[in-house]
Amino acid sequence: MNRHDATGEAAHTSDGAGVAGGTQEPGASAGTLSRGPGRLLIAVYGVFALAATARAAFQLATKFDEAPLAYVLTAVAALVYVFATVSLSRSGVRWYRYSLAAVSLELIGVLTVGTLSVVDPVLFPADTVWSVYGRGYGFVPLILPVLGLWWLYRHRAVTAANRRT
Amino acid sequence: MVVDGFFIAGTVVCLLSTLICIGAAVIRQPPNDVTILAVAAVELFLLVYLVAGIFRQAGGEPVTGEVWEFWGYLLTALMIPVGAFWWAILERSQWSNLVLGAVGVTIFVMLYRMEQIWDGAVPA
Repeated sequence: MNRHDATGEAAHTSDGAGVAGGTQEPGASAGTLSRGPGRLLIAVYGVFALAATARAAFQLATKFDEAPLAYVLTAVAALVYVFATVSLSRSGVRWYRYSLAAVSLELIGVLTVGTLSVVDPVLFPADTVWSVYGRGYGFVPLILPVLGLWWLYRHRAVTAANRRT
Repeated sequence: MVVDGFFIAGTVVCLLSTLICIGAAVIRQPPNDVTILAVAAVELFLLVYLVAGIFRQAGGEPVTGEVWEFWGYLLTALMIPVGAFWWAILERSQWSNLVLGAVGVTIFVMLYRMEQIWDGAVPA
């Protein structure tokens, strides 16, 4: 892992790195979360943002009446994925907190909807991204927030360092 | 779903592309000509699939599922190798090769759905 590049090379990522201003330590400069394994994590988030958005749009446009609740939840899931993709790829304390909120919401969502869809299949007749813990998507929707939280936890020091200043 | 030549060719290209990229990541290589060409091969396949799709449809071959859903998938799929390339080359580490490796997997899943739509399988 070449985290040492972070200081020299990260400046040109197109983020609002200025958000946290000059308060960051050198190691916490732009896009710490989007380096190394984080790049893969964000890429997978991006794919799911795309997939869930497209699926939600398709479901809402063509068969909303069949299962309004399930399809609205797909749309919610899509929004969470899009937001998490953006927030994870940005740096600064604020975006870190947004990421934490989005990824946590995602985990709660997949656990809640997953459990509900197992307990009461009538309520969720249709496949959403989160039905049966994301079975239709190879359970990636269940694994992704866990990896996301782990990744955020590993970078918690960045936030703590910023908070002190 | 009918397993046709497009599906076989696409599966082979995606599989090889992903294996090459994962292999390069395992030996800790940053993205290089080989892995970038591997992803370009996937894009090339999609372009061939696109042109073939236009001709097949113009020639009257029926699309059993929703036509616009097929084209939606295909146009989205065409953007994925490009996006992954852009995202990967911003950081030259072995992790970026895994980003490139994700292209093959993603496109394979999308190709599977496109073939389902074309041949009229019931969407899940």
